[in-house]
Amino acid sequence: MSMKKAQRPYLLELSLIILAVIVALPIYYLLVTTLKTPEEAAASPLGLPHHWTFGNYAEAWNMMRYPRVFTNNFIITFFSLIGCTLLPCMAAYGFARSRSLIGKLLFVAVIAGLVVPFQIALIPLYKLISTLHLMNTLWAVIIVNISVTIPFNVFLFINFVKSLPLEVEESASIDGSGVIGTFFRIVLPLMQPVVASAAILNSLTFWNDFMGPLLFLQTRDKAVILQEVYRNIGQFSTNWTAFFPMMVLGVAPLLIFYIIMQKYIIKGIAAGSVKG
Amino acid sequence: MTRKREFAFLLLIVPALLFYFIFYLYPVISTFAHSFTDWSLLQRSIHFIGLDNYRQLFNDDVVLTGIKNSIVYAVIMTIVQNALAVPLAVALDKNLRSKNVLRMVFFAPAVLSPLVVGFLWSYIMSSLDYGPLNQMLSHLGLGSVNWLGEPKLALYSVILTQVWQWTGWAMVIYLANLQGISKELFEAAHIDGANGWKTFWNITLPLLVPSITINTVLSMIGGLKVFDIIFSMTSGGPGHATESIVTVLLQRAFTDSQLGYASALGVLFSLFVMVVTLLQLRLMKRWEVS
Repeated sequence: MSMKKAQRPYLLELSLIILAVIVALPIYYLLVTTLKTPEEAAASPLGLPHHWTFGNYAEAWNMMRYPRVFTNNFIITFFSLIGCTLLPCMAAYGFARSRSLIGKLLFVAVIAGLVVPFQIALIPLYKLISTLHLMNTLWAVIIVNISVTIPFNVFLFINFVKSLPLEVEESASIDGSGVIGTFFRIVLPLMQPVVASAAILNSLTFWNDFMGPLLFLQTRDKAVILQEVYRNIGQFSTNWTAFFPMMVLGVAPLLIFYIIMQKYIIKGIAAGSVKG
Repeated sequence: MTRKREFAFLLLIVPALLFYFIFYLYPVISTFAHSFTDWSLLQRSIHFIGLDNYRQLFNDDVVLTGIKNSIVYAVIMTIVQNALAVPLAVALDKNLRSKNVLRMVFFAPAVLSPLVVGFLWSYIMSSLDYGPLNQMLSHLGLGSVNWLGEPKLALYSVILTQVWQWTGWAMVIYLANLQGISKELFEAAHIDGANGWKTFWNITLPLLVPSITINTVLSMIGGLKVFDIIFSMTSGGPGHATESIVTVLLQRAFTDSQLGYASALGVLFSLFVMVVTLLQLRLMKRWEVS
């Protein structure tokens, strides 16, 4: 009986490891093909390359103007994250503590955004962005990112604010601190865990967003990484393995970030989703 | 004093509200209003045409294909993904030595860009001689499959890719839920003589209902909204076999410049998403009670 109990997890573990290898195969294929010639990749797709050459990477790096597009990606993600956490934090606190009817009505209006898919807003948004002369600026994508995530983040944060003890805020207000001062000095620091999980969830979405940049960024100096990947698909019909380093450069920043931060990312996603 | 405080609370709401009203709510309402017009980039004036756009939608074969595909896509993806993610999470919740590494590998595809995943898998599923998947099949003595070129099969090939990408995400949510369940429950069941299957059906699964709700809602909505992966894998083809609601919507709006018509499709689409979400939450709630 005890023998059987001790053996079972090993068999389970072995089958899980086999499954993990299968799941990892496409990523292995992506990486290994970057080092091969088309002939080599066709002859043995999963075999190791004969000689390790990184020339394809250097070429991809230059063709994509990688430092430029990486910076654009970073700027968009960074400012979107600040806006999509700070504004909903302020709003969630206001909504949670407001007793007025107007506060409640506005809350319903914001939460209604949860069930409306963002894609429906695209056409007027496109027009609005060009009317405001924001077309082909990184701000267009940043503003849209922030606006689209407001309903969900307010929803996520308000439950957290409601769980905070009122005593701390009350003693602060007795000490003469106003509402806004109390929020920034006392409440906002307490919201750190929930803000962290929202930031992780949203950073994946912002970094990997393709539709926003596709619509709002037209010139190459404003493009994001994925637009450069997209530009080059089909450019290499004979030397097709040369496209693989571009795909790797497309996914590498988040993949590396994930490998380093995986504990926090997985925790953040679980927390953000379960509470949402 | 309380009045002043109330005013300050509302003041904190204002910045988020401005963004939300101007860049989200206004465009949504504008889409709704324009769905009753012949708004187009090809002409200068806009006319009210009542429900004509909506009538036309139901006679547009590409739109109907897109709607059908999005539903098939969302439903199958939701079922397969969750049917795989639940046992995976239950297994990883056990005391395994390689638990953390396994979890990391299963989740990894979820951090990749869907656009790149689409490109990558279109190479993997390629029917040219270098296609690794078909090469593997032929090594196993099986015939090659035209994964993305066969109209009847292409949609399912895209679904397979999506399942590969997102099952780990669902698994992580199930794992978080499982870790919140007291282990004593399982021990008690074990003492009572319940076997693995019985414990799973009678204890684990009912306690997983909250995360099942979240996961099915998330993947249904994600499935209905699908765009990037189709854009990069098949561009809606072959023919229009893998067109989704959003790919058709963007084509009608930005390629054909029929903005009014595309708006009507947008309205129909969001009604759809709303109904599905509410229905699903309702059904799940009933299940939760019983």
